[in-house]
Amino acid sequence: MSDQPQESLPTSKVARAARFAKTGLKVGANYVQHYAKKAVGADSEMADLHQANAEELYGTLSKMKGSVLKVAQMLAMEKNLLPPAYAKQFQQAQYQTPPLSGPLVVKAFRDAFGHSPSEIFEEFDPNARQAASIGQVHFARKMGKALAVKVQYPGVGASIRSDIAMVKPVALRIMGLREETLRPYLAEVEARLIEETDYKLELSRGQAVAAKCGHLPHLQFPTYYPALSSARILTMDWLPGQHMQEFLAENPPQEVRNQLGQALWDFYQYQLRELRQLHADPHPGNFLFSHTDGGTVGVLDFGCVKDVPPLEQRQFLSLLDPATLADPARLETLLTEAGVLRPTDSPALRGMYLRTLRQSLELVGRPFRQDTFDFGDPAYLKSLYALGDDLMQDQELRQQREPRGSAHFVYLNRTYVGLFSLLTELGAVVRTTYAA
Amino acid sequence: MEPTLLKPAYLDYLRRHGHAPRTVFAFADAQGITEGEFYRHYASFAAIEREAWVEFGREARAQAAQEPAWQGYGSREKLLAFYYTLLEILKNNRSFVLLTLKRSQQRRLAVVPKVLDQFEAEFKDFVEEVLHEGRSTGEVASRPFLQDGYKRIFLRQLQFILLFFVRDASAGFERTDAAVEKAVTLSFDLVGRNTFDSALDFGRFLLQRHSVG
Repeated sequence: MSDQPQESLPTSKVARAARFAKTGLKVGANYVQHYAKKAVGADSEMADLHQANAEELYGTLSKMKGSVLKVAQMLAMEKNLLPPAYAKQFQQAQYQTPPLSGPLVVKAFRDAFGHSPSEIFEEFDPNARQAASIGQVHFARKMGKALAVKVQYPGVGASIRSDIAMVKPVALRIMGLREETLRPYLAEVEARLIEETDYKLELSRGQAVAAKCGHLPHLQFPTYYPALSSARILTMDWLPGQHMQEFLAENPPQEVRNQLGQALWDFYQYQLRELRQLHADPHPGNFLFSHTDGGTVGVLDFGCVKDVPPLEQRQFLSLLDPATLADPARLETLLTEAGVLRPTDSPALRGMYLRTLRQSLELVGRPFRQDTFDFGDPAYLKSLYALGDDLMQDQELRQQREPRGSAHFVYLNRTYVGLFSLLTELGAVVRTTYAA
Repeated sequence: MEPTLLKPAYLDYLRRHGHAPRTVFAFADAQGITEGEFYRHYASFAAIEREAWVEFGREARAQAAQEPAWQGYGSREKLLAFYYTLLEILKNNRSFVLLTLKRSQQRRLAVVPKVLDQFEAEFKDFVEEVLHEGRSTGEVASRPFLQDGYKRIFLRQLQFILLFFVRDASAGFERTDAAVEKAVTLSFDLVGRNTFDSALDFGRFLLQRHSVG
């Protein structure tokens, strides 16, 4: 991918479909090579194939930017849903999207405020400092304050639905997912994406979360500036700190890592238990890490906030409760209540579901059953992914693939797996008990 | 009456009624002047329309150049900035744009109306200037003979964008913005150093070798 600013934003459905078609062909070719190699007895690892396909697919998706890229990123978050090779490729996306041309940024400002950025701010860097998936971030200064100004790509909102409709068959075929697995997930993604294009909503949510979570230690939230924001432009404080990868490259001491991890953990626990509202995009690109006060986390991007209904919240918390795992009868009752088990299920099927779910719960809930949990051991996250892979391979389960339980769990699951992977990357030891 | 007042009065009439006044006499009379006085400033209503378009173009160029970032722009960005500023002006005058462009479209679709004559002439000068600048910075490839035709290509681009804008039904005309980005990128890919120049270079090299050997 070139460093050249990207001016062409393929928005017409035909243009995008053409790109997809190209990928379909190339990935198809990779499979042909794979099977040809097999036929002549050469060793071609399935992993190699996934890797090649993932790079191919990523190359195409990154050219499309807009919501397609966002969908890819969201799929990447749900590592359980994707072969690891795809997940890795898609995670790069956040750091690599090329910026829009300067005149278009100026135009976005004139459309929103009737003034160009140079008239509004004392200083405005026309080159984007960071690319966000549906926008880009510029550095600005006003009244001596350093500001981050997020500008959304034009036409993103309008194209979400058609983008998702196009991602769907590709995801199904190339990634080997099943329609039933993907459907509730895509519906959720679509709803969140449409919300995400509304920067006014993000602004009010950002303000609300900052007000409610401001008392939590070692967290920093930006102040938002409504007068300098519109549906497509969002102005907030420029928070100090670095993104995860840069921060970790400097080898911060363990105490700092622990404090950062603890701050993140407490933030999510508080949201789930007290606010019933989650910053549902625990994506490395949405946090900034700094050494301030022995480790401070800056929280960005409230585009993806998930409201958790009281019923789902209670069910989710009960499932994570250590007592549930120890008591099979209680687990069964809970799962029936949540609609995962049905009275009409045959005993064999019921047994199979119970077995797999117990296994998942044992693993997902493990950090909650100990006073402190060491995320520094990558073995935990690996076994979490491995479980996902196993579940996908399980013949018995594959045959039964039908959506069970609430679609809200999709986001809860995504949020927690995302959080766990952040903590693992930080290598933090975290006190996981919740003191209300 | 000053011509500066005559024009807004005419444009106002056009936008409100959706058509030009029946006769110059009626219009002049409503403005409190004689028909003869009208002709001292304009030969016809069409002349006013032409002038309005010319002013859109001049205003767009002036406004775009006022932008502090303009100094740092390359040729491609200057053209983009011009288009975006022009579209902003046209958006505020869309009724007039639709009336003047559609009227001529009814006769023959996609034929460029005469009302744009002077506007287009000035656009060509602007493009010439921008391309000249681009050649000095290397953004635009120097191709003797061929480059004389560039102005026409960019004129086509302008016409394409105008027609796209006329037909655009998306909210805030966002699709026109995307069309502008695409069209300008394509044109600068074409006039910049590209495969074509390498092929030409290669061809020249082969010819030279041939003549040496």
